[in-house]
Amino acid sequence: MTPEALVNDYLARLRASLIGLTVSEREDIVQEIQMHIRERIADPQASLEAILAGLGPAAELAQQYRTGILVQRARRSISPLVILRAALRWATTGIEGFIVFLIAIIGYATGVSFLLMALLKPSFPHNTGLWVGPDQFNLSFRMGMTMANPTPPVHEVLGWWLIPLCLIIGSLSLALTTKLLQFLFRRFRWRVPFASAIQTRPAMMAF
Amino acid sequence: MAKQVISPSEAESSERWEAQLRKGCLEMAVLASLWNGRLYGLEILRVLERDSSLVLAEGTIYPILNRLRTEGLVLSEWVEAEAGHPRKYYELTNIGRERAIRMAETWTQFSAGLGRLIEPVLENNYGNNNVERPL
Repeated sequence: MTPEALVNDYLARLRASLIGLTVSEREDIVQEIQMHIRERIADPQASLEAILAGLGPAAELAQQYRTGILVQRARRSISPLVILRAALRWATTGIEGFIVFLIAIIGYATGVSFLLMALLKPSFPHNTGLWVGPDQFNLSFRMGMTMANPTPPVHEVLGWWLIPLCLIIGSLSLALTTKLLQFLFRRFRWRVPFASAIQTRPAMMAF
Repeated sequence: MAKQVISPSEAESSERWEAQLRKGCLEMAVLASLWNGRLYGLEILRVLERDSSLVLAEGTIYPILNRLRTEGLVLSEWVEAEAGHPRKYYELTNIGRERAIRMAETWTQFSAGLGRLIEPVLENNYGNNNVERPL
């Protein structure tokens, strides 16, 4: 490969990996990296291979940008989609992020399930509800959809109250999950984006 | 005193600690490098290397600058340079200046405090190595 093709190839891979960013964000990044390469190559001692190695693999470089930008967006956003995406990216950086991602998934799934129940009640009034009854020695609860009508003494207790109750619980779960995740994104702001950012060259350090 | 053998995992965890430490200072280092005026990415790398021996993987600096920009700590501007190609220059915003001052103050207090604490550690290591210290 000619040097020029090598650079173009690197930039193309960088561009392709910068998904989830706006076009102007992406082109700005690609141009800055391109100018970095051009400036470094002017130094006759520098080899192109060494310069590209210094930048790291294109996909990894893109990942550092994406994590920063996604988390930045998620901190301000209330959109579950944006937040989930940032949490997913965070999950790829370690156990801490993975736990955050689990919290996000569980929180949003709970919220959505409750809202779904409220939506299903009008269409399936007899199959949607909260059933209470003795189950051997324990009182058991069963909430959700059922195909067969349970036999007494198991009975449904909420009736149409199910709808407002589920709407409230569902919305609260969504709101609380969002608030919690925004808090986590802010709280751990310095730890997120640069998992493996820094070269280890102990001899060069002068602390 | 028996000679201590440093196991590979011990060396690794000490290396990781050092990497964490450097990562924590990076933000302050970048903001501080811009204190005297605007610079472009490669210049920042050179200033860091010259003034602080902080050597970064070159690709690291650009995502950090991008994040500092989205946080409003620096501004960026493309400038047509004599070199024949444009350069993206960064400069501190007022918020960035304040953040740099706060970080530098915190850093100084922190390192002065720890300096007192670790003084005996260093003395013990370089000086009288075999003296039993009274508890």
